[in-house]
Amino acid sequence: MGVAGKRSIASLQSPPSSRMINNTNANETDCKEVKIPSQIFFAIAMMTLGENLLVVVAVIRNRKLHSPMYCFICSLALFNTISSLSKTWENIMLAFTNTGHLDKRGESIRKVDDVTDSLLCMSFIGSIFSFVAIAVDRYITIFHALRYHNIMTMKRSLMILAFIWTFCGLSGVVMVMFFHTVVIITCLIVFFLVSLVLILFLYLHMFLLARHHAWKITALSGGATQQRSDLRGVLTLTILFGVFVACWSPFFLHLLIIMVCPQNPYCECYRSLFEVNLVFLMSHAVIDPAIYAFRSAELRRTFRKMFLCCISTPCHSLA
Amino acid sequence: MSAESSFASFFAFIECFGIKLFLILVVRLLRGAPPVMPGPRNSSSGAPQYVWEYEYYDDGEPVSFEGLRAHRYSIVIGFWVGLAVFVIFMFFVLTLLTKTGAPHQENLDPCEKHHHCTSCTVDTNRPQDLESLTCPHPRQHESRSLIHCFLQEEEQGGAGLRSSKVMRDCSGFLLQEAQKGKRPEQDASVLTHFTIPNFVNSENSFTLGEDDLLLCEPPIILDNKSHLHSIHHTNS
Repeated sequence: MGVAGKRSIASLQSPPSSRMINNTNANETDCKEVKIPSQIFFAIAMMTLGENLLVVVAVIRNRKLHSPMYCFICSLALFNTISSLSKTWENIMLAFTNTGHLDKRGESIRKVDDVTDSLLCMSFIGSIFSFVAIAVDRYITIFHALRYHNIMTMKRSLMILAFIWTFCGLSGVVMVMFFHTVVIITCLIVFFLVSLVLILFLYLHMFLLARHHAWKITALSGGATQQRSDLRGVLTLTILFGVFVACWSPFFLHLLIIMVCPQNPYCECYRSLFEVNLVFLMSHAVIDPAIYAFRSAELRRTFRKMFLCCISTPCHSLA
Repeated sequence: MSAESSFASFFAFIECFGIKLFLILVVRLLRGAPPVMPGPRNSSSGAPQYVWEYEYYDDGEPVSFEGLRAHRYSIVIGFWVGLAVFVIFMFFVLTLLTKTGAPHQENLDPCEKHHHCTSCTVDTNRPQDLESLTCPHPRQHESRSLIHCFLQEEEQGGAGLRSSKVMRDCSGFLLQEAQKGKRPEQDASVLTHFTIPNFVNSENSFTLGEDDLLLCEPPIILDNKSHLHSIHHTNS
């Protein structure tokens, strides 16, 4: 992200060494900014792009996957795709400025950087919205199964998606314009925390119902062991939530820290790890399809057909 | 329709909240509210915002690293350790939850004990429905294949919503498989096939969309021709 973490092109002009010049005695204790080679960002972005594009294409091509749940998964994959593309574009522009091909202070470069940053913001917020939407959709599926098709019609889910995309687009633009204000950062952090709590609550409730049903079945079937299935459920839920928290919260803690304690040396050391936090954030887009999309057998079947289609020449419709 | 209205109001609330937030920000912009962060000292006309950012990080005295009591990366270490502890704690709490809370045998319908039916009428608005598993089809325990079960349910279910109710009612088949005295792993696998009644009907083709939230099982796709395939797949 350009403004927050000094990753924009002009951020190269803010040398952290200015502090080192004044603190010549404290050179060895200074927290230098940890630089991640751009090849790693590029690799992560390419993997993200490949996986998520595959999901999007599979959902679009297979008519059986035109249901609200897969629409939300497709939307998540699209947001991840956009984030990887914009991050790649930003890295390419940074590489060009490093080698001196681009003028750092150019007006057009700043505008392009703003656009990239707003796309990144939009994709981050959109990803979180998509997680919440997927959780709510699953929740309705389980707890209101009989009325699911009345509650979550295709039209309603498309309306929800339209709202999410519009809101995220606008938020992206607004955030990049006003990122320095405390209001925006506070809103972002509050939004993240609310989503976290909501997702945790929804999945926990679903898990408890599943456990309840599993116990009922065990009782009826005469006490057959079902601990293995329980453990798998626990593991799935822990992975889902744990990965979400582990990937997203370092970045949001960074936002909190630049707001709360900009001068504290401990906070300074945390801020120096900005690029590492960004790597975590982006790696979530790589893990996402594995957690959400690839768990569905229908989607896996679609992938298999797509690959076989690529291999063999006659390519029939997947629907 | 209360659930529908509640969700509609939930979505409307989110929309309102988003619109309100946007309006607040627009009002701030129009009022020209000054930023709360330390402002720029001298903003050149060339690239003002970046100069500002630069000065913000260099604001005042440079950050002094002398006299630190704890390790300089203590926030980082504390954060990651806290996160790991939280995730592990959550894992253990969930595992404990799965081990406790055994079902109450005396609440079970005698019908269930004898016929081992599990037609679950899932209606969470009345939690006690979850407790009591009804057995509306006494002949169900005689059917030995999923197909027969589906056919029975299709006959009796009527033209209304089919598949979700059908799948729930036909869970008795899976229990019969469990009762056949197969290997424990197979029992467990049969039970894992039916941990969450997460059956969603989608127009013509019946797909277990998110086969289940917690476990990865192949969905049972009920096409007209693929019943047998799906059953074999489920039983394997």
